[in-house]
Formats: sequence, structure tokens, C-alpha cells
Amino acid sequence: MIVVENLTKTYGSKKAVDNLSFSVAPGRVTGFLGPNGSGKSTTMRCMLGLDKPDTGITTFDGRKYVDIESPLTFVGSLLDAGDAHKGRTARNHLRWIAMTNGISASRVDAVLQMVGMEDAARTRVGKFSLGMRQRLGLAVALLGDPKVVILDEPANGLDPEGIRWTREVMRHLADEGRSVLVSSHQLVELSLVADDLVVIGQGKLISSGPIAQFMTQHAKTWVRVVSPQFDALAELVIAQGGTVERTSEGGDFHAVSAVTVGDIAAANKIVLHELSPQTGSLEQAFLDATDASVEYRGQSTTTNVWDAPQP
Amino acid sequence: MIGVLKSELFKLRTTRATKIVAICAVALPAVIFGLTSLFAFTNGEVGDSLISMVGNFAPLTGLLLGVVGVLCSTQEYSQGTIRITLVATPNRLKVFVAKLLTTLVVSVASSMLMLLLCLVPAQLILSSRNVTFDLIGSDLRILFSVVILSAFLSILGLSLGLVFKSSPGAISALLLWPTILEGMVFGLLSLAFKDSNLFKFAPVQGNGFRLIAQYTDESNTWLVSLTYFSAFVAVFAVLGAVLFTRRDA
Repeated sequence: MIVVENLTKTYGSKKAVDNLSFSVAPGRVTGFLGPNGSGKSTTMRCMLGLDKPDTGITTFDGRKYVDIESPLTFVGSLLDAGDAHKGRTARNHLRWIAMTNGISASRVDAVLQMVGMEDAARTRVGKFSLGMRQRLGLAVALLGDPKVVILDEPANGLDPEGIRWTREVMRHLADEGRSVLVSSHQLVELSLVADDLVVIGQGKLISSGPIAQFMTQHAKTWVRVVSPQFDALAELVIAQGGTVERTSEGGDFHAVSAVTVGDIAAANKIVLHELSPQTGSLEQAFLDATDASVEYRGQSTTTNVWDAPQP
Repeated sequence: MIGVLKSELFKLRTTRATKIVAICAVALPAVIFGLTSLFAFTNGEVGDSLISMVGNFAPLTGLLLGVVGVLCSTQEYSQGTIRITLVATPNRLKVFVAKLLTTLVVSVASSMLMLLLCLVPAQLILSSRNVTFDLIGSDLRILFSVVILSAFLSILGLSLGLVFKSSPGAISALLLWPTILEGMVFGLLSLAFKDSNLFKFAPVQGNGFRLIAQYTDESNTWLVSLTYFSAFVAVFAVLGAVLFTRRDA
């Protein structure tokens, strides 16, 4: 169980993390979401004692990270796939890490096999692709067979097979009762594996809890209707306070429930070919939830920025 | 602690740059000394001059081992492995002590190996020509000082690496201060205070490098030089330790 309480971290005049509190339960995959610069990586670094928070505390089963004896056997982490000496072989990279926590050399070989890198064990890290470095980073995280796993963008640079494999690893770890905290921008992937979500924006907590709860709070819902008498139904629904958006086959009703639309149709003997409640994607829910706290926003392709003079 | 020590030593062993610099620190003096023995000292007693010559290589070996010390710390930052190091061993003081001891072991072993590779072939070459040299008391002091100087310069390198966090900055400081800047600073001070004896306060040239030199009445004694130089190194070691334990990784 990870508990983060009132974490605040300031760089100069910028508050990177602002009084952040959340928890990560064992046996569950918790997605850690936020726009670029929202403080996800800073939070993870503070949790592991790499950055010193101004205030706040993180505990792992009630203990501070610095107080854990052989911490790699309790908390495994992947913060940046680039954190490896380019001149060392993959095996040697894992060996020096293993030595610090009294982990055996046989475990090094086992995790290399686990991440599918046994053939590249004696290849220098400098020759690895980003995907291979990501796998090596995962091997570091799994080296101590930890109870808690913290992963920062673990699927970055992985091919589709690698992404699916990462998803399966996270699910497997959680099913074994471990706590898994994973930050990712690949929301579709995250929606397939996460049980809980922690969403932050500009260092502040926006939402924390089960993914279904987040969707209920932030995802758009509407009712899709296909009917030969759509216009008549639309008038009746608007009279009940709903709004209508026409599509090629029928339309979408907003601000009314599927039950209400069905009751109106039945009461007025309107034929329905389709009546289905719809829920927006996690991506849309995330964008809506964090819209007010996006710090770095790209220009739309419809604006004139693309016509700017070439260098 | 043993695990952290083993890990630090393993890190040094598996890094090409540190191996190359350490080999240069040992091999360069040995090669030059071997060639000198081969082509000089064709007759007569050579005792004092031979050991003095070994001593003359001490700053070169010491500074190169100082670069090994720099690399021991800065490569962690440049390659990003410092984050893994501190995640694996969150007690930063323990990491600092492990790095210090590792650097110390490497520098002492390397400088002793350098002495061995200088003196044994020279002894063989000279004895084949019936040229003799015996170690006297001051010779032993010089040989001991070579090891001491290397050890302190490597700690200085490690500390500067922790202060600067980048190889170019730390190596520049390590090499430029004793070779150029210190002479300029104390030269200007001597002019300003009209006192040529101020140079004996220069920490590296006036004391560190003096450990291996012959002493005159105007210079500090060996013990004073050692105390002064070790205090200078200790200041940087404490600064490096404080910054290392307090700064964000």
C-alpha cells in the first residue's frame, strides 16, 4: 500500500506539486494521469526520495522509502529508460544494481529472460533501441521481485507486442497482490489495465478513485437514437429539457437519460430502431477533466501558425 | 555497506573511460621511467636521482587518478544512473562513503602499481649494468608521499565531481587550479603583499606537490604540508558530501 500525504514540491517560484494526497491499493493497477508538466514525474521522484519535498510524506506499508532495508526488494521502479550507462552491457547494468541490495546473479539472468532480453544480455546499452532500453528498465524494476511497482511511461517506445506484454505484466503483478502505480499518456492502453486512476493537473489532485467513478464524474454520456420518426421524437425530448445533435442515421440526445427517451417514445407510439446509452472515451474524459490545468498546449492545425515563415 | 562498496567497484571496473584513465595513470610513468632507465644511468650511483624521478611523476599520476575520481561521480549524472543508485541505496551518506572508499582503494592500488612498474624494471636494468641504488630514509618518504598524493587528489576529484556534477567543469577545475590558476593567484598575492614566501600557502603546488620534493628551510615541513593539503581536500570532500546528500538527484 502506498500512501502519499500532502506532498508539495517547489522549484524556485513554480509549485510543481501542490499538497497532493492519494493512495495506491495492493492488488490493483493505479493509473497516474496528468498533462505534460503536471507534476507526475516530480511526484514519483519525491515518493522515492530522489527529490526532497517541501512538505508531505510518502509511506510504503507504513514505512518511509529511506527506512526500507534493501528497498529494491520492496519497491521496484522505472523512472526513465535512459538511466543506464551506454558503455555497460545489459547484464552488467543489472548486476551492479543487484549487488547494492544483495540480489543474486541468477535473479539477474532470470529477469533478463523475463523481459525477453537474454540474447542481448552481453550487448552494450548504447546499441539498444528505445524499446529495448524500456525492457531493460522494466527488468530493473522487477529485479528485487518487489511488492510495490512504480512505472513512469513504461510503454514508451515499445512495439504493439511490447505494449501488450507490459499490460499483461502489470495485470499479473496486481493479480499477485502487488501495488502497481503507472503513469502513461497512452490512455487507451491504460483504460484496458487500470483499476483506479489518480488524475492531477498543475500539481493538484483532480480526481482519485476507481476508473468507473472517474468516468461517471467526467465522461460525457448521451443517448443514441435511430428512428423513422426522429423529428417528432426530437421535439418531444427538447420539450423535456434535452438537446439534440443530428447524425446521418438519426441523432444523439444529451441531458436526458435513455429511460426518459424510451418512455417518451412509448407514450407517443414512436417507432425506435435503436436506443442506446453512450459513454465517452477515457481520453475525452481525461481531456475534459484536465482542460483547465493544461500548461503546454499545441496550436491547432487550422490556425495560421503552420503558415509561419520557414527558417 | 559491503554490497554498495562491491557495486561501486563493479561500476568503475565496467566503465571504459575510468579504466583507460587509470591505465594511463599507471602506464605512462612506467613507460617513461623504463625508457629513462634504459638510456640513462649508464654508470655511477643513481639512488637519489632515481627516486626523485619517480616522485616527479607523482603529480601526473595523481591528477590522472583525480580524473578517475571525477568520473566516478560525474558519469552517474551524465548517464542518469545516479537516480538508480539513490533508489537502490536511499542513504546518500552511505553512497558517498562507498564512492570515497572505492576511489581511495583504486588510487592507492594504482599508485603502488605505478611505483612497482617503475622501480622493478629499473632495478633489473640497472643491476644488469652493475649500477646500484639503495633506498634511504628520504626515498621511502617520497615513495609513501606518491601514494598519499594520489589518494588525496583522487578524493579531490571525486569531491569536485559531486560539486560540479559535470565532467568538463570538474576536470577543468582539477587540472587548471594546480597547474595554472594557483600559481597565478599566489603570484599576484606575493606581488601585492611583497612577500615571496606566500607560496608556501598554495594548497596543491605549495604543499600537495611539495610532499614529494626535497625540503628547504623556507618551505613547510612534510607534516605541515600534509596537514595543510589534507585540510584543503577535506574542505572539498565535506562540500561534496553536503551537496550530494542535500541536492535533488
